[in-house]
Amino acid sequence: MNRREFLKIIATTSAAMAAASCSVTRESDRVFPYLVPPEEEIIPGKPVFYKSTCTECPANCGMIVKAYDKVIDNKHTICPVKLEGMPGHPVNDGGLCIRGQASLTRLYHPERIKVPLLRKGNGQYQKLSWEEAYKKISDALLSAKEQGRKNVFLSGHTTGTLSDLIASFCQQENLERLPEYEPLSYSTIRAANKILFGRNEIPFYNIAASDFLLTVGADIMGTFVSPVSYGKQYSKASQNPDFQWTHIEPHITISGMSADMRLSIKPASEIYVLGYLLKKIAFSKSVKNQIPGSILASLPDLNTNDFTRKTGIAMEQLDAIVNHLEKSSKPILITGELSTASSTGLETALLSGLIQWSTGMINSTIDFSQSENYANVGTLHDIQNLVNQLKGSLIGVIFISRADPVSNAANFGQVFQNASFRVGMAELMNDTLNQCDIILPLSHPLESWGDAVPRKNVVSVIQPCYIILTSSEPLESWGDTVPAKNIVSVIQRSMEPIFNSRIEGDIYLQLMSQLKNQPVKETYQSYLFANWDKSYGSNFAEESLKSGFVTRPASEDSVSLNIGEVAGLFKNINATEPAKTPVLAIVPSLRAYDGRGRVLALLSEIPDPLTTVSWGEWVSISPEMAKSLGDLKDGDEISITSDKGNYKYPVKLQPKLSSDCLMVFRGSITPTTLAIDTRTGDDIWYIENIKIQKTGNWIEMPILSGSTSQEGRGIIRDPKDKKTLEEYTSKAGMYEEIVHPNYRWSMAIDLESCTGCSACVAACYIENNVPVVGAHDHIKGREMSWIRIEPFYEKENYEFVPMLCQHCTYAPCEPVCPVYAAYHNPEGLNAQVYNRCVGTRYCSNNCPYKVRRFNWFEHEWKAPMDRMLNPEMFVRTKGIMEKCTFCVQRIRTAKDGAKDENRLVKDGEVVPACAQTCPANAIVFGNILDKNSKVYQLSQSRRAYRVFDYLGVEPAVHYLHKKETPSGRDKGEGT
Amino acid sequence: MKSRMIQLLLVGYFVSIVVLVIGFWVYWGTFQKAPVQPIGFSHRIHTTRVGLQCNYCHKYADKGLSPGVPAVSVCMGCHDSVKVNSPEIIKLTQYWSGKKSVPWIQVNRLPDHVYFSHKRHVKHGFDCEICHGEVRGMDQIRQVRSLEMGWCVTCHRANKGPTDCWTCHK
Repeated sequence: MNRREFLKIIATTSAAMAAASCSVTRESDRVFPYLVPPEEEIIPGKPVFYKSTCTECPANCGMIVKAYDKVIDNKHTICPVKLEGMPGHPVNDGGLCIRGQASLTRLYHPERIKVPLLRKGNGQYQKLSWEEAYKKISDALLSAKEQGRKNVFLSGHTTGTLSDLIASFCQQENLERLPEYEPLSYSTIRAANKILFGRNEIPFYNIAASDFLLTVGADIMGTFVSPVSYGKQYSKASQNPDFQWTHIEPHITISGMSADMRLSIKPASEIYVLGYLLKKIAFSKSVKNQIPGSILASLPDLNTNDFTRKTGIAMEQLDAIVNHLEKSSKPILITGELSTASSTGLETALLSGLIQWSTGMINSTIDFSQSENYANVGTLHDIQNLVNQLKGSLIGVIFISRADPVSNAANFGQVFQNASFRVGMAELMNDTLNQCDIILPLSHPLESWGDAVPRKNVVSVIQPCYIILTSSEPLESWGDTVPAKNIVSVIQRSMEPIFNSRIEGDIYLQLMSQLKNQPVKETYQSYLFANWDKSYGSNFAEESLKSGFVTRPASEDSVSLNIGEVAGLFKNINATEPAKTPVLAIVPSLRAYDGRGRVLALLSEIPDPLTTVSWGEWVSISPEMAKSLGDLKDGDEISITSDKGNYKYPVKLQPKLSSDCLMVFRGSITPTTLAIDTRTGDDIWYIENIKIQKTGNWIEMPILSGSTSQEGRGIIRDPKDKKTLEEYTSKAGMYEEIVHPNYRWSMAIDLESCTGCSACVAACYIENNVPVVGAHDHIKGREMSWIRIEPFYEKENYEFVPMLCQHCTYAPCEPVCPVYAAYHNPEGLNAQVYNRCVGTRYCSNNCPYKVRRFNWFEHEWKAPMDRMLNPEMFVRTKGIMEKCTFCVQRIRTAKDGAKDENRLVKDGEVVPACAQTCPANAIVFGNILDKNSKVYQLSQSRRAYRVFDYLGVEPAVHYLHKKETPSGRDKGEGT
Repeated sequence: MKSRMIQLLLVGYFVSIVVLVIGFWVYWGTFQKAPVQPIGFSHRIHTTRVGLQCNYCHKYADKGLSPGVPAVSVCMGCHDSVKVNSPEIIKLTQYWSGKKSVPWIQVNRLPDHVYFSHKRHVKHGFDCEICHGEVRGMDQIRQVRSLEMGWCVTCHRANKGPTDCWTCHK
C-alpha cells in the first residue's frame, strides 16, 4: 500500500464513520406526542400535583405528590418525583418526616417484587401468572378445609375501606381475621387507658393547646405515634413565650435534645418519678380531680436517698416540674415508648394516666374523641395465640399482608412453617415473605386507590399518582369507557403499575370471584367509590379527591376515671426495684422506625442525627462507661452477654447518655428475643443485667461528624452572649461591596424549634437528585448531602444545627475557583455552574462551613429509580462540585410566575424543599431586602446570629439561638 | 533517520488536515441538514398554503418551557378527511389506527443542564423565526442556529436580557 492509497482509505473510512455516527438518531432524540391530549391539561415542563396519604407508618400524614409527565417506554407516564406534606391536613399540616420523604424510593425500589412467585423446595422461586397464583391459593384453601384446619388472615395496620373489604373477604372464605400486627403497638398505653378510662386507645395529644409539655420516654419528634403532628403542634405551642417543654428519659432521643429541660433518669425508674409527681400534685391545692387516698397510700414512699439511688436524680429537681404542672392552665403529659416498655411499664403508664386525670389534662389537652386509629391493632398476645395454634398444626392457609412478624415477634419464625400454606403480600421482600409459599407483589400506595382513617374523625384519600396516560386510546373508543366516577382527575387513571403488581383491594376482589367461580365483577376503585357513597354520601369522592381529606365532626366524648379498677393496682409497687444495670435498651429508630426502613437506602445514607453514623449497626454507650470498659473508642467492638442472647456491636460514644444504659436501634437487632409483658402484650425493650466485654476488634464506621463538640468555635452562640448583631459583624472584606438589586435570598433557622428530625435532609436529597453513595464512600468522607444535621454536646448545652451552604455575600469559595464556576449571583446566591466546573476542589477546601460536595464518581440511579429524578435539576456527573442552591429551581419558578404578572416575588412564594417539609417550621426562607418579609424580621431578632460571623463572609443564613433558660437545660447530669 | 521523521511529520500533518476538513464538512452537513422524519411533514405547506399559525400546533409556546408537539389527534382533526390518499397521510393514519404515537425526531435540542423557557421569550415578543429560521419556507425542518451559549449570550446582551449564569444553567 502506498501513501496515497493509505490516505484515501483513512479519509473515506473516517468520513463514513463520522457521517454514520451523526445520522443515527438516538431514541432520546425523539419526541412522542400524545395520541389524544389528556383532558387535564399538562403544560410541558410543569409538574402536576395530586393529593394522597402517606402509609409508611400508621400516622397516615396527608401529602401532596408532585409528578412530571415523562416518556417511559414510549408511553407518557406521570411519575411522582417528590412528596410534600399537605398544608391544612389535620394530621401533619404541611410537614412530612424523613421516612415519609424517603417512602418515594419504595415506589421505585429496584428490588420490588416484580411478579407473583411460588416457592420451590430448594429455596428458589418460580414465576407465576396472577391467575396461576389465585388457582394455587384456592386449591390450598380447599385442601385446608378437607384437612379440617383453620385458615387465618393477618395484616399490618389497615384502616378505611380496605379494612372493610378484608372483613368481607374473610367472612366469605371463612378466614379468621386476626388483630393487626404492628411491632410498635403501644399496647401498654392502650391497656392503661383501658383500665383507667375504659378506652383501649391512644388519645389525641393536643400539644398546640398546651402551655407546658412534659414528655416521659416518648420520642414525640422521632417515632412516637404521630411525630409530624406533634412537631407541627409544638411549633404552634412554642409561639407562646411562656411555653416550656421538659423531657424525662432513661436513654437519649432527639426529643430529649430539643426539650427546654431534660432529665436523665435511671432505666425503669419512671414509677418513682411519676409516683412522686402524682403525690405532690394530689396533695396540692391546685389539683383538679381528686385521686382516691387508697391509691396514694400504695405509692412508693421513698426517702431522699433512696429516691436518688433508684432514679439517679434528686427530688428537688422535680419541683420545677411540679410547679409548672400546678401553675400552667393547660399542661400536657405524654408517656410512652421506652418508659412504658420496662417490666414496670404498665405501672408507669397508669401513674401517668392518674397525673393526667388529676391535673385536668384528660378531656382537655388529652382528647379521646379524636383518638389515633389503633382500633384493630392487636398485641403480642394475639401473636402468641397464633404461635400456639401453629405449634399444634391447627393452621391451614395463612395470609400475611404488609407485616413482618418473623423478624419482629418472638418464636413466630420457628413455627411459621407449620402452617400448611403461607401467602405473603408486600412490596419488598422481608423475612416473613422469605418463608411464604406464594408471594403476591402489592402495588405501592402511589399506584393505588384507597383511603386511610388516621384518627377517628379524619378520612384521608389515597389516589394513584403513577399514571400511564390512557390517551394512547383513539378518540372514538374513549367516551363510554371513561368511568362515570372520573371526577377530579379528568385523566383517566390507567392502573398500570411499574411492575406486575396489583392493588391489594383488587387481589381480594379477584380472589373472591375466583373462589366463587365467577368472573371478576368490579375493580377496587369502583368498590371504594361505592363504599364512599354509602358511608359518607354521594359527593364525598368529588370533595375528598380535591381536598385530599375530609374531617368529620368529632363526637363530644369525655371519659372519666374508673376508680374501682384502679385501687389495688400498685400493691407491689414498693417492692419493685429499677432495672438491673447495665441495661441494653432496644428502641425504635428515627430512620428505620420498627426496622421497616432498613430496605430504603436513602434512610441509611442519611446519618442518625444523634450519632451522625450513617450505614451499619452500632451500640451507643456513654463516654463514662466507655472509659470504664478500658477506654473504648468509636468503632471498638464489644460483646454483650445476657440471658436473652449474645450480641456483638461496634460502639459509638454517645454524650449525655445515662451510664447505666446502652442503646441499640430496632432493626439492627432481632427483637424476637425480647420478653413479653404478660399483662399488656407489649414487648419489653430492656435486656437487663448485661455483661459487656471488649472483643479487641475494631470496626470502621461511617461517622460523619468530626467531633461531638464545637471545639469553642461558636457555631451555636451562647444565649447569654448579649452582643448585638452589629457588634458581632466584622467587615473584613477586601472586595468591593456587593449590591443586590431586587432580591437577596436568605434563610432563618430557629434552633429553638429545630428538633434534629432530619426530614429536611431527606427532602433535599429527593428534590435535588442528590446521589446515595453508600458506606464505603462515607467512610472516605465522600458524603453528598447538601444539608446535614450537626449534633453538638457541650457541658451544659446540647443541640442540633442544620448546616447547609450559607450563601455568603463574600464567599471564600468564589475567588479561589480558577474557572469562575463558583460565583456570586445578583440575587445573593452563591452559584455553582456545573458544566463549567473542572473539579479542582479548591472551593471546598476554602469553605469554612464544609458544605461543598464533590462527585468522585458517576452515580447511577438504578432503573426504575431514574424515574424519580427531578427534571428541574441537572444530574451532576463525575468530577463536579455541587452544593445547596437554596432550591434555585423553586426560585426560578416563582420568578417566572411573578414576571407573568409583572411584579416581584412575594414573601412566602419560594419555599425550599427543606423548609417545606420541616415538621417544626424551623426554617424560613425569603428575600431579606423586603423589610416586611418574615426572614427579615427574624434576622432582626435578638436571638439572631450568623455562624462564623467574625470571618466577615456575611452568610445569608441567620440562626436563632435557643431561648435562654435560667440555669442551663441539663439537670440530669452530674448530680 | 532524520528524513524519515520529517516524512512522518508531513504525513501526519496532511492526514490531520484531511480529517479536519472532512470533519467540518460532515458537521456543517448534518447541522444544516434536516433529519429524515417518520412522516414527511411540511411546515411550508401548513403555514403558507393552509395558513396555520405556529401556536395552532405548538400551543404551549407562550405557556410552558417547551412549545409542545401537537397530539396526533390534532393532525387527525383535519386529515381524517383531507388528503387521505397521500402516501404521507397514509403513514399518519397507520400510526393513528395502530394507537401508536409518531416518533418525531427532535431538531432543535438544548443540553440537559440548560433551563430555557419558550414562554419567557415569546411573551417578550420575540418572533419564533429569530431562533428557528424561515420555518415557513422549510419543507423539512432543520436547525438554523447553533443554539450554543455564545449565540444565546449575544442576543441577551443586545436585548438587555439577564446574563447571570443561573438564569439558564441549572
